[in-house]
Amino acid sequence: MSLVTVGIADLKVSKDPGDTLVTYSLGSCIGLAIYDPVVKVGGLLHYMLPDSSINKDKAAKNPAMFANKGIPLLFKECYSLGADKKRMIIKVAGGSQIMDDAGTFNIGKRNYAILRKMFWKNNVMIDNEDIGGNCNRTMYMEIGDGKINLKISKKGMVEL
Amino acid sequence: MSLMEEIITAVDEMPPFPQVVQRAMRALAEPDYEVAGLVDILKVDQSITANILKLCNSAYFGLPRKVSSLKEAVVYLGANQLRQLLLSGAASKIYEKPSSGYTVFADELWRHALATAVMAQVLRQHLRFKIDENTLFTAALLHDVGKVVLSAFVIDKYRAIEQLVETGESSFQEAERQTLGFDHAEIGGKIAEKWEFPDAIITAISFHHEPARAAKEFRLLTEIVALANSLTVMVGYGTGVDGLACRGHDLLLKKLKIEARDLEKLVLLFQLEMVKTCEDAGVDGG
Ligand SMILES: [Fe+2]
Ligand SMILES: [Fe+2]
Repeated sequence: MSLVTVGIADLKVSKDPGDTLVTYSLGSCIGLAIYDPVVKVGGLLHYMLPDSSINKDKAAKNPAMFANKGIPLLFKECYSLGADKKRMIIKVAGGSQIMDDAGTFNIGKRNYAILRKMFWKNNVMIDNEDIGGNCNRTMYMEIGDGKINLKISKKGMVEL
Repeated sequence: MSLMEEIITAVDEMPPFPQVVQRAMRALAEPDYEVAGLVDILKVDQSITANILKLCNSAYFGLPRKVSSLKEAVVYLGANQLRQLLLSGAASKIYEKPSSGYTVFADELWRHALATAVMAQVLRQHLRFKIDENTLFTAALLHDVGKVVLSAFVIDKYRAIEQLVETGESSFQEAERQTLGFDHAEIGGKIAEKWEFPDAIITAISFHHEPARAAKEFRLLTEIVALANSLTVMVGYGTGVDGLACRGHDLLLKKLKIEARDLEKLVLLFQLEMVKTCEDAGVDGG
């Protein structure tokens, strides 16, 4: 039994049924959890920004910081542990916003929009999600059964 | 005693800002400070001495040999690094006071404070704001110090604050104000006053949620602290029960000429800098 922390701009994959992957404090960032229930392989990504074109050099060193680099990498790493795209269960959380009437602080929204676009292009369906609002989320993934729990500020623990 | 009176008493009872740090800061502020004098001030405090040597010998600097004299380390680090090390050390102890009420994780207030200081520096550097680096760093680092005191008092009022926030119309600070009659920013300003910090810092702390209320001469400083705070809250750095119920100040972005695309770049630069800072400070920045 071990708790594996996925940092900000980080991803982890596992096939150890005793592992729990956790990523803390998703504000405008997105936590993407993917899981293959047949081989019991799962992965969790915590990305901060939609698109790496803002700085290609930095992106090369920190792929998990960006949706466009981190998402493909997460899938690839799960495939290398034996996961299959067709069986993947996909859950998404985060993308919150601070209070801003004009919507200029909308990185959360853009983080989510690019994920939808990439999934749509690649025929990937989201099974469940908890997105937006102005709460803060911590996301847990059990590798043993793929269960996702969210700890949400103001609400407490809920299963996704 | 009214709640406000109780809190004023608690502010009075707060430990002073560490003397050694304040004395060192005053010495460093002299244009021609002497290293020997500075070393005399610092060597009194063993844990500060140890931290200076530790930072100097850290992988970050990659020195070819081990530095074991305080004097050598002080010279090597230079005034700015030294100031930041001293301030962070003092602030981390203040924020890590066991508190309930406002926090979900123990080191959360401290992580948020450090993140805000890092963000403020990134804003200053990349947008070329003409603001004194150390004043900005100090103000950003201590901006939420009022929460340390308020946290202990607010437990029974907390539900009322939360309900106001849940309506989606009040920010956390506004809900504090409506429920208690004052907010953590105001209390933070009182603490900074008690510590005899300069007016610039007192102002920036007092108005970090309402920068438009800051006196004109300290307005830019306060605006940068306010923006740095909003951005660290946005990306999820060490916020507590308040979640993301913080105002973004759109007008501020316009006034400071920051565009949406710039925000992404700033978040990127911030994160890289934050990872480095956390390694140095031994904080789990992850
Ligand atoms: Fe605040
Ligand atoms: Fe804050």
